[in-house]
Amino acid sequence: MAIPGLAYFFTFKYIPLVGNIIAFQNYNLFQGLFHSKWVGLDHFLTLFRYDDFWIIMRNSLKLGLYSIFFGFPAPLVLALLLNELRAMWLKRPLQTMLYLPHFLSWVIVGGIFSNLLDVKGWMNQKLHNVGLGPYDFLGNSTTFLGTVISISIWKEIGWGTIIYLAALAGINPSLYEAATMDGASRVRQIWSITLPSLMPAIIVLLLLRVGNLLDANIEQMLMFLNPLVRDVGEVFDTYIYRVGLLESQYSYSTAIGVFKSVIGLILLTLVNTLSKKTTGEGVY
Amino acid sequence: MTVTSLSMIAPLIHLLAVSLSLPEYANAKLVGLWPKGMQFDVYGSIFALDDIWRAMGVSIYITVIGTIVTLLLCSLLAYTLTRPMMPGRKIIMKLIVVTFVFPVPLIPSYLLVKQLGMINSLWSLIIPGAMSAFYVLIIRTFFQGVPGELFEAAKIDGCGEQRIYTRIVLPLSLPVLATITLFHTVSQWNSYFSATIYIRSRELYPLQVLLRNLIVDNGANTGMSDFQLSTQFTPEMMKAGIVLVATLPILIVYPLLQKHFVKGAMLGSVKE
Repeated sequence: MAIPGLAYFFTFKYIPLVGNIIAFQNYNLFQGLFHSKWVGLDHFLTLFRYDDFWIIMRNSLKLGLYSIFFGFPAPLVLALLLNELRAMWLKRPLQTMLYLPHFLSWVIVGGIFSNLLDVKGWMNQKLHNVGLGPYDFLGNSTTFLGTVISISIWKEIGWGTIIYLAALAGINPSLYEAATMDGASRVRQIWSITLPSLMPAIIVLLLLRVGNLLDANIEQMLMFLNPLVRDVGEVFDTYIYRVGLLESQYSYSTAIGVFKSVIGLILLTLVNTLSKKTTGEGVY
Repeated sequence: MTVTSLSMIAPLIHLLAVSLSLPEYANAKLVGLWPKGMQFDVYGSIFALDDIWRAMGVSIYITVIGTIVTLLLCSLLAYTLTRPMMPGRKIIMKLIVVTFVFPVPLIPSYLLVKQLGMINSLWSLIIPGAMSAFYVLIIRTFFQGVPGELFEAAKIDGCGEQRIYTRIVLPLSLPVLATITLFHTVSQWNSYFSATIYIRSRELYPLQVLLRNLIVDNGANTGMSDFQLSTQFTPEMMKAGIVLVATLPILIVYPLLQKHFVKGAMLGSVKE
């Protein structure tokens, strides 16, 4: 009974990993994996000598770091606020609304925001009324990253609160009672009880984010990336898609993928060890 | 708090308002959250479009078949992984969890799908994404909660493994199966990237791809451009309407299943 499932994992999860070896070949569709010419590290060397590679590296790092810096704390703050909300009748409908964007596809979200943020769109109309703009939010190199990151925060902020809310529900209420007796204010209680109790969850989630630092959401980037902002918006994933699939440079783009995963793995191991040493928490 | 929550639905309401306004107001961008000069004809025009119906059919097909395949494969594997007589359970579990950490590389999996001859077939949208370590873990965690005495009793009554699976485990596991159904249905309905890379012919485009071509390429190669000539509505209104039509299924099932997915997200987050 296990055979279909095992065959699936073998075929679709493990074979592609082994397939990464085409990064060390000049892969040719007609010769296949076994007869293509081996070229060693050639593709990697080409990569490092190529100016655009460093631009893509910079863009991916920027996107990754900014989204961790701004995107990671957002659901945590929202969960803390939701937790302070005492009116249950209000809490449920608010949560329903907050979770909703997570269920919309990137195409829909792209449609909504390209409409709202267009030079002639609703947002610019409002800015115009107060004497500002027009801004081309998605077609302007200075605002592009900020806009894209804000949109993904909009989409995932509510969903991200779920895990924190569950952790919050598990905190022993007597801790808060004791703190109230000692005269701790609401803010002090959050600082001294809530945050320390959430620490394990926060650290594990942060580690996973750091491990995926260079992974962009391809569905989102393909929706918003346009020629006007390629200089700041081209990241590893979009580049692999463009060069690998649209231009059929299979080996070269696989080499980029391998490079990216190796960096990801190194980062994950590094921060995991670091966090185990300092806080005792880790993903593995 | 309330403002943040309202900002989540405000864009959708804006789109609804745009699609329902009279073209002259929509064109002048005067529409905010309430339609100016109500009309409903834009939806008539959208549903008169053959492409939309065909794409909707494709989306429904890959969502329904895909979810059935996923439920079957994942629950079967999870079931065998909870049975004590299964050899090598621990190792298999580890091998599955490893796939969590190593993301599947894009180009090699594209080449694999190509080798398997699934390019330009709807199977390419169903099979490669059918299972995930996450789903198997969630289902297995739930199965482990089924009392062992039930299995023994069934054994004594002469049930084989298959009968135990179909008659006892599955019926008792409806909550977890509902969770997986929701997760997978939403992701199948929403995905467009795999269709962008695997599907070549226009007749097999799912709704999201059609929509994306409409939004990104402004209607180029969707057959939408000739259509717009024959309609009185602005492209913005058509887009707004089509975006809402594609969102509708999600908006309908979402409130019904909300309590399940919160529980489900929890199930997956609990480690042994």
